[in-house]
Amino acid sequence: MDDRKVRNIGISAHIDSGKTTLTERILFYAKRIHAIHDVKGKDGVGATMDSMELEKERGITIASAATFCEWREHEINIIDTPGHVDFTVEVERSLRVLDGAVLVLCSVGGVQSQSITVDQQMKRYKVPCIAFINKCDRSGADPSRVIAQLRSKLGHNAVAMQIPIGLENNFQGIIDLVSMKAVYFDGENGENVRIEEISDALIQEAVTKREELIDAASMFSDELTEAILEEQEIPEELLINALRIGTLTRKITPVLIGSAYKNKGVQPLLDAVNQLLPCPSDMKNEAFDMDNNEKPIILSSSPEDQAVALAFKLEDGAYGQLTYIRVYQGSIAKGTTIVNARTGKKVKVGRVVRMHADQMEDMETIPAGYIGALFGIDCASGDTFTARGTTLTMSSMFVANPVISLSITPEDNKSQINMSKALNRFTKEDPTFKTYVDDETKETIIEGMGELHLEVYVERMKREYGANVETGNPRVAYRETITRKAEFNYTHKKQTGGSGQYGRIAGYMEPIKEAEFEFDNKITGGVIPTQFIPACEKGFRACMAKGPRMEFPVTGIRVLINDGAAHNVDSSEMAFQAAARGAFLEAYAKAKAVIHEPIMKVVVETPTEFQGSAMGLLNQRRGMIVGAQDDGPMCVIEAQVPLAEMFGFSTVLRSATQGQAQFTMEFALYKLVPQSIAEELAEKMAKKKKDI
Amino acid sequence: MMMLKKDLITRHPLGIQGDETDIISNGEFGAVLSRAGVGKTALLVQLALNTMLRNRNVLHISLNDPVDKITLWYKELFQHLAQDHTVEEASQLWEFLLPHRLVMTFRVAGFSVPRLRERMADLTGQDIFHPDMVIIDGLKFDESTRECLTDLKKLAGEQSFHAWFSVHTHRHEETSSNGIPSPLLAVEDLFDVALQLQPSGTDIHIKPLKGLSNVTSDLSHLTLDASSMLIK
Repeated sequence: MDDRKVRNIGISAHIDSGKTTLTERILFYAKRIHAIHDVKGKDGVGATMDSMELEKERGITIASAATFCEWREHEINIIDTPGHVDFTVEVERSLRVLDGAVLVLCSVGGVQSQSITVDQQMKRYKVPCIAFINKCDRSGADPSRVIAQLRSKLGHNAVAMQIPIGLENNFQGIIDLVSMKAVYFDGENGENVRIEEISDALIQEAVTKREELIDAASMFSDELTEAILEEQEIPEELLINALRIGTLTRKITPVLIGSAYKNKGVQPLLDAVNQLLPCPSDMKNEAFDMDNNEKPIILSSSPEDQAVALAFKLEDGAYGQLTYIRVYQGSIAKGTTIVNARTGKKVKVGRVVRMHADQMEDMETIPAGYIGALFGIDCASGDTFTARGTTLTMSSMFVANPVISLSITPEDNKSQINMSKALNRFTKEDPTFKTYVDDETKETIIEGMGELHLEVYVERMKREYGANVETGNPRVAYRETITRKAEFNYTHKKQTGGSGQYGRIAGYMEPIKEAEFEFDNKITGGVIPTQFIPACEKGFRACMAKGPRMEFPVTGIRVLINDGAAHNVDSSEMAFQAAARGAFLEAYAKAKAVIHEPIMKVVVETPTEFQGSAMGLLNQRRGMIVGAQDDGPMCVIEAQVPLAEMFGFSTVLRSATQGQAQFTMEFALYKLVPQSIAEELAEKMAKKKKDI
Repeated sequence: MMMLKKDLITRHPLGIQGDETDIISNGEFGAVLSRAGVGKTALLVQLALNTMLRNRNVLHISLNDPVDKITLWYKELFQHLAQDHTVEEASQLWEFLLPHRLVMTFRVAGFSVPRLRERMADLTGQDIFHPDMVIIDGLKFDESTRECLTDLKKLAGEQSFHAWFSVHTHRHEETSSNGIPSPLLAVEDLFDVALQLQPSGTDIHIKPLKGLSNVTSDLSHLTLDASSMLIK
């Protein structure tokens, strides 16, 4: 197999910019589906990519299904990335698997706050991309404004590869600036591409824009520059090659235009995917050698080498768990045995398939560079599979800690059983979604990255698993930590008949930034016998779960023990655990403990006339305004606001701006809670204790 | 953290020692002139950081760059300044400094004094932010600038702030007999301080064109390090 003809691409976009419709059209032209449905279809079928019922109903895509299609002898795998910011883990995990991406933008809405987030993620994973300006048939469509925004807001070196023939209602087709031909899309579903000469009315504009395109591309090819200087005719291939080099290094972003809904411009986009986006071996992929101190190793992308694959998505199918994998090196074939690098477990590969949303196709093997799915393999998202004998692991992806929690109570016994099934599945799929049972209240708690994040899972529990649950009020994940070094020297002693308990521990605790908890044993001369050291650590660690000050989890503490005493009859593991607990409390009281709260980066997009009121709202919520970007009719305000103050913000913002503003938020950092708020929290805590 | 703060304040970008006041007072204007890419923004950001260290608020207005890019300037220059100190201390001080800064960006065509007045009324009226210093980076100096600057001067008086401008000069432009490059010449009377950045070899010299007589007699030794853009 020739991996130069393989494309693993994502289609990333702001919600509602028509991503799902575009995917649908691509699959239609690539003959993977035989009829076109709309996202919010009246026929009740829905676009093919949204495989989950909830997504169909809401018209949004949550899970990233991978689907496969062919276009002009190229094999294209499309990862449908979710559009909402609350699901960024899924987005980021998908981006890791992609080699290139199509950034879809709405020709009316332009670069919106969500596009900015998605773009930053693409930057982080260095994903080369091309842009597609969709909805050119809508009133208010203005592709050149969107290109200007790509430059000013996202800092892309965006350059048009096409210009529209008419816009809004009159959008007829496009002019391809590479071939200098007019392209029209005929037939009921735009399947017949008709190529004509450019009309006289547009030729002047086309020539100017083509010059801009050639000028931008000439940066990447000496041959092209020479051709320009010698005023030769520029061969299409030369221009495309130069653009490809620029795209792969993310130094240029070619922009295509069209309207997926009106079936215009999709086939040229597919051609551009083939011509401009990278194939798997164009990209460098790193793995870490676990045997060699996690030293990074560049994977070979040769199907002959030892297999390394990443499980990036799990799905519950009718036949059990379906695991989507991307193979980076070697191949994964039916009947072979692979090793899960995280657990060390050996797994036999039963069935290997290639997915097209809800349908599948059996395969013999998945070679390097390809995306496929495995059946009946127990693993979590993000696990690495390797051939036996290698100790490589794909880099663990950055996973943020949850910032918000919610209690859920099943309504009846059946829901209880289904709820556990659902939670088991969700936690495997999404590393930022966590669940546990509260020791005191015996309630089940779910944790995640935002209100909407949790809401969607509660909905999915209802729909997919038939688990009806009642939810409590969302709670913010506060944390406790210490701000200064404090010493302890604690003796635990009990003499109540029979064998007593004795243990003394001395040392200090200090704040650290890098880890949640560190334990350092500097005991010399065996003053605490070695067999009791783990008990000491266990005792300290146990104290971290619930802070002595406000019962929030404690983080960022290093404990060092350097002295102690033991009794040869009365000392035991239990005694030292108790001594550690005592020592922790003793030092903690002196270590100036403080409360930290999660701060969110909030980006509000509003018409300029409401900028003042939007800023006022953020300010009232203890927000710190970082900046305001005035962009003609719209402006973008960036602020840092405590999560605790953000509940119900969407309603307030909507009513203050006549529904014209929108916002996104994501976790930014943990910050010290101001004194007044800390007192409020303490009061609440005291009240809660009294109630119990 | 206090130690670090003190230390950084004394490292005033223009070598002003132990002085708790600003170079120019409310209602006054300062200008930093140079050709493209020499370091106008870097110098302005250092003046701003110094002001923020003294618990005063800076409104940074940029007509060219997006908010992210400007915040990056601040972060990088601050990190350079604080690099001799512990990360812990520096990050605490950084957290403390941030509320003293607000960044606003306009598109060059979208910027006007009435518009700025409106924005500032939003900020001060709701008690969100009261700037002591305003930086205007990227304003074009041409025939129509006088009117805009006069209005700004009025606003500066009303809202009691002082303002620093970046002025983009060109190689081919003439300088007048008093050494003021032509973009500033027509509005020179509105400015109390003007500093010119001149690259020479690997260093960039800061040459006072106007004002600063009360500060130091010898500024010619002040140079920007071309790699870090910090004042040496």
